[in-house]
Amino acid sequence: MATSQETLEALADYQVQCNDNKRLRKMQRDWSKLLHFVADDTGDRFTMNVVKGEIVSFEAGVSGTPDIVVTASSEDLCDMFWGDLNPSQKYLQGEIRVKASQEDIIRLDAITMIIWPDV
Amino acid sequence: MGADLTKIKEQALADFAEFINPMKVRTMKAAGLDIIEQRRDGASVWDVTGKKYLDCQTGSGIMNVGRHNREIVQKLKEALDTYDIGVFLLCSKQKADLAKKLAEVTPGDLKCTIFGVGGGEANDAAIKIARGYTMKTKIIYAERAYHGHTGFALSAIGRAAYKAPFEPLMPGFEMVPFGDIEAMRRAVTDDTAAIILETIQGEGGIHIPPDDYLPAVRKLCDENETLLILDEIQTGLARTGKMFACEHWGVVPDVMTVAKSLGGGLYPISATIFKEEIQDFFVPHPFIHLSTFGGSDLGCIVGLAAIEYLEKHNLADHAEKMGARFRAGFDRLLQDFPSLLLEVRQKGLMMGLQYTNESIGPRMTKKMADRSVIAVYTGNDPSICRLMPPLVITPDEVDVVLNALEDSMKELSKEAGLGKND
Repeated sequence: MATSQETLEALADYQVQCNDNKRLRKMQRDWSKLLHFVADDTGDRFTMNVVKGEIVSFEAGVSGTPDIVVTASSEDLCDMFWGDLNPSQKYLQGEIRVKASQEDIIRLDAITMIIWPDV
Repeated sequence: MGADLTKIKEQALADFAEFINPMKVRTMKAAGLDIIEQRRDGASVWDVTGKKYLDCQTGSGIMNVGRHNREIVQKLKEALDTYDIGVFLLCSKQKADLAKKLAEVTPGDLKCTIFGVGGGEANDAAIKIARGYTMKTKIIYAERAYHGHTGFALSAIGRAAYKAPFEPLMPGFEMVPFGDIEAMRRAVTDDTAAIILETIQGEGGIHIPPDDYLPAVRKLCDENETLLILDEIQTGLARTGKMFACEHWGVVPDVMTVAKSLGGGLYPISATIFKEEIQDFFVPHPFIHLSTFGGSDLGCIVGLAAIEYLEKHNLADHAEKMGARFRAGFDRLLQDFPSLLLEVRQKGLMMGLQYTNESIGPRMTKKMADRSVIAVYTGNDPSICRLMPPLVITPDEVDVVLNALEDSMKELSKEAGLGKND
């Protein structure tokens, strides 16, 4: 189980990995979304705002109407942000649940593929 | 030997990822569908490593006559001894033979054909014919529709995600809900060239129109001098238990498009078939729509052989019978797994399982692949599994699919994330 603080630290790492990756930024430049992340074991919630492929902010708690809601254990969320798990595999096992369009689900997995090709 | 085959597979996947599409490989791997097809026969396909799968996806209905149909392969082999694709500028006996056969097997007074290579091209031609013949511009299409990824056809797709990156698209297209005749009435104007519909929506999730819908659309078209284009690319050629699905409702379109299984799973070919009176548009414009590879001599030989095979083996009736066998199994699944399976929509062997939420389609796809059945959710709606096995599927193979569905659902029932809000 991960604490809220640990998840925020993982999110901060994820923000750096995404924003510093030029290929990813270019690829995602048509993608602006509000994401909510829900840790179903701790009840912690987080909001991330992506504007034209850049993660412009993230915070504890939820705000706004999300385009995408990702629900998983706190540990799986952290592992996802650290590139320690394959989101598609977890999604197909029902351990990560995503409320989003199919295109956005693929986009989330594509982010992982670009940053961590071996995951 | 096994290790060598595994290496061949891994290398093929790596090369595909590097030189074609890495995300496709990643997605297929995650779904358990990283299959490199090797042997193909009947309703089955063998991965290069030797693992056998029952194919219920069939490229969304390319394989009505079965995988690698030997009778048609033989016809193609014989044709290759003499012919090549032919020169599209010249007239061709092979084209004429297939066009004549299509006029015979299509309903009503559909008679003339333009050949193409794929379904999108066939629908492009249909829309061009409609605008050219009627001298009107508006095209009405349906929500969730799928008619292909080419120019005019893309404009008639009822899914924004396929279109958004390529806008602006063709002007003059209006979308209406599928199955809603009042919405259709409101959309039709004096300038409506055509209404284009799939007889049964495939990619959108096997949506079957209400029984009075297509006859009412036909009447509406007649009243407004608007052409009715029916896309029978997935539904045609015996898939639904009739040679063409529109026969279930006694409706004859002005233009019909056929592709996929017309190629017998061996050679790409499509056809846009229309009423004789529409031919008048081409009299002053005989070279206005050409396709270099469309209706190649080899493709036409295969197309004719595919239709003859369907007739000789009465596969429309077989589709009806195997569909009924599937239906009995689906009814049991509906009873046993109400938290997973909401509804079944089906005509013959065109079948859609409506799951209770969108995560179930991808998860069932993986579980079915683990049980050696290729059964994939639809592109337009992941809460729906589309099953379109070859029409040559046997009763025993139907039972294999049903058992795999039951076992997969049992396993899935024990997992998290099955609520309506997940």
